Amino acid sequence: MNALVIFVEQEQGALRRIGFEMASKGAEIAKVLAIPSVAVVLGAGANVAAEQLKSTPVDIIAAGEDVPVEKYLLDPAVDALEALLKEKGPSYVLFPASNAGKDLAARVAVRLNAGVITEATELSVVDGTLVAQSPKFGGSAIATIDFKDSTYAVVLCRPNSFAARKEPGKGELITLAAPAGKTYVAVIEERVAQEAGAVGVDEASVVVSGGRGLGGPEHFDIIEALAAALGGAVGASRAAVDAGWISHSHQVGQTGKSVAPQLYIACGISGAIQHKVGMRSSGTIVAINKDPNAPIFEFCDLGVVGDIFQIVPALTQLVKERKGTG
Amino acid sequence: MKIVVTVKQVPDTNAEKTFDPANNRLNRSTIENVLNPFDEYAIEEALRLKEKLGGDTTVTVLTMAPESGRDVVRKALAMGADSAALLSDAAVGGSDAMATAYALAQALKKTGFDLILTGTQSTDAICSIVPAAIAEHLGVPCLTFAKKVTVSDGAIEVQRETESGYLRVSAPLPALVSVTKSANEPRYPSLKGIMGAKKKEIAPLSLADIGADTALLGDPGSRTRVTAIAPVGPRPKGTVITAADATEGARAVIDFLVAKKVI
Repeated sequence: MNALVIFVEQEQGALRRIGFEMASKGAEIAKVLAIPSVAVVLGAGANVAAEQLKSTPVDIIAAGEDVPVEKYLLDPAVDALEALLKEKGPSYVLFPASNAGKDLAARVAVRLNAGVITEATELSVVDGTLVAQSPKFGGSAIATIDFKDSTYAVVLCRPNSFAARKEPGKGELITLAAPAGKTYVAVIEERVAQEAGAVGVDEASVVVSGGRGLGGPEHFDIIEALAAALGGAVGASRAAVDAGWISHSHQVGQTGKSVAPQLYIACGISGAIQHKVGMRSSGTIVAINKDPNAPIFEFCDLGVVGDIFQIVPALTQLVKERKGTG
Repeated sequence: MKIVVTVKQVPDTNAEKTFDPANNRLNRSTIENVLNPFDEYAIEEALRLKEKLGGDTTVTVLTMAPESGRDVVRKALAMGADSAALLSDAAVGGSDAMATAYALAQALKKTGFDLILTGTQSTDAICSIVPAAIAEHLGVPCLTFAKKVTVSDGAIEVQRETESGYLRVSAPLPALVSVTKSANEPRYPSLKGIMGAKKKEIAPLSLADIGADTALLGDPGSRTRVTAIAPVGPRPKGTVITAADATEGARAVIDFLVAKKVI
């Protein structure tokens, strides 16, 4: 392989933490393989994003400010990445496991006849080649996967898997041109930000989730307050989402997001298998539920049988005091 | 308008999983298979579009599976799909997600389509890359993660979920759309639907029928290789306490978090 290319999502110059995580891990792997690491940022704000990436250990930062990814859905990004990768020759390519990252990975891989490893939670080099670990079957098994017969090899990286290191590398800036002579038909008519700036449940290092035990949408405020005190995101069980108390983007579990934060606090969630498969890989799991027979008490690290309406606000207060924000 | 919905059979989430040590594949024969829950949203969306558009709109379900895939397809037919196609061929066994997408794209060329609807992911592999790879193989607009779908006059508009909200995206047909859980509430098959499904056609497709290159399929066509797979043991059961009051409960949690160094 000639290079390790890292696609970093940016919006108006802002990067998500996964971008720093991947830049750090990618640069580390590239160093072991003795090939250059190249971070790519596309669209309006790319130059600002590129400056931020200078704090990471990557060798090269390719910024495509003029690639019109705000106007057309992903097609210009696919073209720009294909052009860059063809120029670099055989490469490893890392994408974030976001909605856009998954589409880009698949489409770039079709164009370059590349293999794709999804949901990678660990990357390493074994005998001079990249090896990934990935949870399968709802986290009930861990697969070790490598590439074969691949000129190009694509890896989708799960958030919260790698440490983000502030350790400036060479950070050489290059400019990526917009694809020339192309017309695109998938037009972005409108961009609606519903939770601007909020950290997604799948990339937060702390997730506080509420379930059926909350009894209604008006009680999610105690979950939000604890999440805010811990600097985390708000999650929910399927029961709470299906009842319409909170949007699907917060759902953790089989038909929602799979999360693996450092800390997961389940409040009023019984812990059905469909919820468990979405959060069982979390670092530490704390459950608060009034039902001593709730299945969640079988797989949490600390379970508290009690009233969430009493305990959660009291816990929020203690967290604030501990952090000096109360 | 011809709508084709791609579906997958997946092992029941509750089933105990074992793996064949010879090839690291799931022992699918020993467990119950179900229709991938995510695919139900795509089927439901197709049926709603058919009800809305009327006329000559048809809904076809396409799956790639062994013969056991018939049961899964039957559920889609019972929900209201008009017909089904089952791509079944020994040579596709062991295909990874990208090889699967190639095979499905070839099959779609054979069935024809104006609109392809898919789920956003499967509950077993959780890759989420098959829909976009199919669209790329077919060279049609790729509108994934849609929570709202509107079709009119040969064009389609979707609300595409993003990490911070959504994008309103339009494109001409033919196109591919993957449908999220937020789009709808899938219907249950009615008794009439279940009875009627038995009479509906499930057309068999082979690799020869769809002109697929076997070198791009199965184990030889897959560019990834699972070198080991290990079941994850159950999480050890932790401490469960009963809180006498809020203060005691909250104190127990904070002491635990501090001891664990998570705050």
